[in-house]
Amino acid sequence: MSEMNPYIPIPVTIKRAIIETDDKLIKTFDLVFNDKKDEERFTYLPGQFAELSILGKGESPIGIASSPTEKGFLKFTVMKVGLVTTTLHELEEGAVMGVRGPMGNWYPIEEMKGQNVVIVGGGFAFTTLRSLLIYLLSHREDYKDIICIYGARNPGLLCYRDELDEWAKRDDMKLYLGIDWKFGPEGPIEEAAAKGWEPVSLKDPTQTKLGKGKYKFTAFVPQLVQAVKPAAKNTYAIVCGPPIMIKFTIPVLTELGYPPERIVNSLEMRMKCGIGKCGRCNIGSKYVCKDGPVFTFKELQNLPKEY
Amino acid sequence: MKPKVLPTKELGAFVKELVKSGLVIGPTEVKGVTRYIPVTSGDELALEYTVCMSGPKGFLFPQNETLVQFEGYVNSAVPSGDMKEAKPQVLFGVRPCDARSLVILDKLFINEDYVDDYYKAKRDATSIICFSCNEPRPTCFCTAVGGGPFDTVGCDVSMSKVEDNYLLEAVTEKGEKLIEGLKDADPSLLQIKEKLKKQAAESIESKVDVEGLPQKLKGMFEDPIWQEMTDKCMGCGVCTYLCPTCHCFDIQDEAVDDKGERIRNWDSCMFPIFTYHGSGHQPRDKRHQRMRQRIMHKFNYYVENFGVIACVGCGRCITECPTNEDLRDNLRKLKDLEPSKVE
Repeated sequence: MSEMNPYIPIPVTIKRAIIETDDKLIKTFDLVFNDKKDEERFTYLPGQFAELSILGKGESPIGIASSPTEKGFLKFTVMKVGLVTTTLHELEEGAVMGVRGPMGNWYPIEEMKGQNVVIVGGGFAFTTLRSLLIYLLSHREDYKDIICIYGARNPGLLCYRDELDEWAKRDDMKLYLGIDWKFGPEGPIEEAAAKGWEPVSLKDPTQTKLGKGKYKFTAFVPQLVQAVKPAAKNTYAIVCGPPIMIKFTIPVLTELGYPPERIVNSLEMRMKCGIGKCGRCNIGSKYVCKDGPVFTFKELQNLPKEY
Repeated sequence: MKPKVLPTKELGAFVKELVKSGLVIGPTEVKGVTRYIPVTSGDELALEYTVCMSGPKGFLFPQNETLVQFEGYVNSAVPSGDMKEAKPQVLFGVRPCDARSLVILDKLFINEDYVDDYYKAKRDATSIICFSCNEPRPTCFCTAVGGGPFDTVGCDVSMSKVEDNYLLEAVTEKGEKLIEGLKDADPSLLQIKEKLKKQAAESIESKVDVEGLPQKLKGMFEDPIWQEMTDKCMGCGVCTYLCPTCHCFDIQDEAVDDKGERIRNWDSCMFPIFTYHGSGHQPRDKRHQRMRQRIMHKFNYYVENFGVIACVGCGRCITECPTNEDLRDNLRKLKDLEPSKVE
């Protein structure tokens, strides 16, 4: 990085833009580098992010959803929130924009070798978890059991639904999907059940019967983790989702026996520069952009509670 | 190199010579306010000052700085101009606290993680002739944070006023070149300077003790004292804009039709929008949390990251605060707080 000016965006072209969720607020963009040399320079690992740059509008820090094992493009899944992301949503395939990065650290893919991995995601924070899962599956022999637990408010808000169906069929990993208890405007759990989403008891999620081919449940993510009971021995838990999900998931993992150094979180903060200079994304002396976004729960315990 | 001497009445000619080789920036009085601004001759300088309104950081890290220029903003992301530029400049007559502030900023902008090319280009093109303080202000506390009224950290040349002469001592090779044309100083001037130096340091009455404070602060994040010291703060952010070591910035795009610029602007941790997420989440929605960030950043986080306190004791945040907030009082409170109250 040092030989390049880190503030200059790298030109890319939108190769594919698709609407990801039923509310149409989340789109996924596949970007290709205009210059092959830039693609070679842009080496990244799962968990890193980049600043998506639209000159005249600004920049937004977004997790990289593609895996470095998928060649030829970068994937970003973006919610329409502010000026930059709204402009991005309006761009069509073929439009040119900019990317700055890769930025930040990554999930502990080296430390996890020879270990089990349980991925716990909620909402559209699943993006860098997708990157991680694809990476793990393409280095399948390096890792033991892989479990992926992923929840959203309703089925239409799950990202990467085609891939979820494929992952559900694989026998070298286990996928569990959860949707929130209230389903549809009336919220009858029966309606969800009729569409194949089995209820998990909120009173005692651990009693949920899991079986072959059963992977769709009505449950909040923490309860789904209780139902799945992923064994803590030699296992890393990679957790990414909204703060409320993380808040209730960590105690569940702790009760299952996961030590804080093997619970890994990815955080987000308002950012500008992405390189630890502009001073706004710090938690204590750590900058989420440069020292994060990936922190173990143990690291977070040693930082001020300001996130 | 031997110390050089410049009779005060020859200052004008010396500065005129300096101007030939580049921009000269020095303390100048405009409408009763002393600020560092570019001058064309020595006559414009107002050296009878102590601390001017704002520090010199803006000459290396401008308040508004174009990072890139571009044309055709949506369909062509290629910036047409990389705006790194740096012309030779001399910071003439800046105070030792201000020279020190640039050494502190260097650690952030030029480090092994990332080099900020914009800052570095200007830094490399800058020479500093620093002017020692014979008479520090009542709000000065440089000696408490590692500096001093005759400190030479960050200077290329250290200049002091001794009777009717300026005594100039080269600190770096760059500094030697700047003053090689001047006459050698009489050793008696040096003796007087040493006396002035001692007097100046002794005249600083602000007694602040930050020994051990950075380590102590680590455990004080949840302490009620932050609320207490924020009661009268109205969150205007002037302390951060005038602080010579505050460096937080925002990046904004400005475009008319399809031409525009990406600009970075000074920003302030004292403003709520500084950390306001797009989702609506706000990690620092209370004013005391922002006050805590400002003080923690200077006296704990910066020390952890770069090994120095990000405060030079210039006292600007004290003299210019509209509600008379006094950083020295706050530091004393933090230092004296009973350990039993610390979590």
